[in-house]
Amino acid sequence: MNAIDGNAVKENLVSKVLVLDDSYEHSQAIKQFCDENNLVALKVHKDRILPVLQSNIDLGAILYSESYGDSSGENAEIASQIHAIRPELPIIIRREHSAKLDDLPEKHRSSFCGAYVSSDLPSLRKVIDEYIFSLEYPNALVRGITEITESVLSSQLTALKISLNTPYIVRDRVIFGEIFSLIPLESSWCRGYMMLQTEEEPILELIDRYSPSDPGANFRTVNSLLGEITNLIWGAFKNRFIGDATAISGNQVQVPLVVNHKHRYISFGTENPQLCFFYTLVDEDTGREVKLYQRFIFNLNWSPDAFKEITTDVESLVDSGELELF
Amino acid sequence: MAKILVVDDSSTVRDEVAGFLKKSGLDVATAVDGKDGLTKIKGDPGIKLVLCDINMPNMDGLTMVEKVRGELANSTVNIIMLTTESSPNMKERGKAAGIKGWIVKPFKGEAVLESIKKLAA
Repeated sequence: MNAIDGNAVKENLVSKVLVLDDSYEHSQAIKQFCDENNLVALKVHKDRILPVLQSNIDLGAILYSESYGDSSGENAEIASQIHAIRPELPIIIRREHSAKLDDLPEKHRSSFCGAYVSSDLPSLRKVIDEYIFSLEYPNALVRGITEITESVLSSQLTALKISLNTPYIVRDRVIFGEIFSLIPLESSWCRGYMMLQTEEEPILELIDRYSPSDPGANFRTVNSLLGEITNLIWGAFKNRFIGDATAISGNQVQVPLVVNHKHRYISFGTENPQLCFFYTLVDEDTGREVKLYQRFIFNLNWSPDAFKEITTDVESLVDSGELELF
Repeated sequence: MAKILVVDDSSTVRDEVAGFLKKSGLDVATAVDGKDGLTKIKGDPGIKLVLCDINMPNMDGLTMVEKVRGELANSTVNIIMLTTESSPNMKERGKAAGIKGWIVKPFKGEAVLESIKKLAA
């Protein structure tokens, strides 16, 4: 097993931030800051903030202005409401004169994780690094995950064209769709879970279209397909990044996972951000899409310094699907 | 006709593999995990070839193989692992247990059909 240096790839991962800032003077600066710091800025009308936040838009943070809203009272109220419904999302406030939170009323202060002033954007960078890009992911890992997953999806959903957005970092905990799979990942350098989230109906339509001989397809069929996709990705991940090394000590720490179906919310017991990949699979004949979110939650251990990609002697490789006889 | 047993906890895989083999004219049964597989191998001497996953609930595939060779003292049924696993240690354990071969998923029926027919004969 050879070690390949995996340079941390903060540069290639992005994160979505909701910008609630009406200042025209600052808008160009924040746009440039986002472009330079791997942030994708999203804006929404004030009336739509709460409905949007209750959907799964996979945010990393919220950039909020001290002057947002029609009054200081409304400003405090909006921030408080956002924090109440999405406490896992860091809200960073832009202030006119002070990059501190100490002088804010206590109730208002508790909505924010940090502050910055327009004239000192490096201080915003520090907060972003602390709350969004706090975990570094080796380039080889991110690249490997996309290669593995695209290969698996191609083999299982052969009629569809697959496209992948730039991988991104998420603080959101809202579940997409009605069905998700979870599988543990355990190695010397990581302990956590891979989660796949998708919607049931587009997959059922796909099965109806391409397997008409299976008229009894129902949610269990979708469950099984998602389960097998999860299994194949997990297996390839193990083969490529974990191998035979038994690095698990006997004393295993575990934390409960909590799923709230009413709010479509899942907690892994940690505030750590999650590594997210979003795949769109399109049936080019009908234009119909299947959306698949893949998240990696390293909630129990994350030690990227110990990360290794396994390389195997090419001559000993047998292609997947081929029979190796003994 | 000799029978092939497909052992996998995924109904997607069972349907895919068994469906392909049946269309190819073979007699196929299925089992949902190693425990079920063991019961079916014990109860049906007509099973000549087993395609078996490793990671399954209740009883994993390699344990099933070891029990087939040990408790059932069945040394004649050919067993091929059909699995996501490719680690050398697992293959060594499989070889020590007396498996005939290894296929890393996904299953590509056309590539292995002739070999499967020979092993099931």
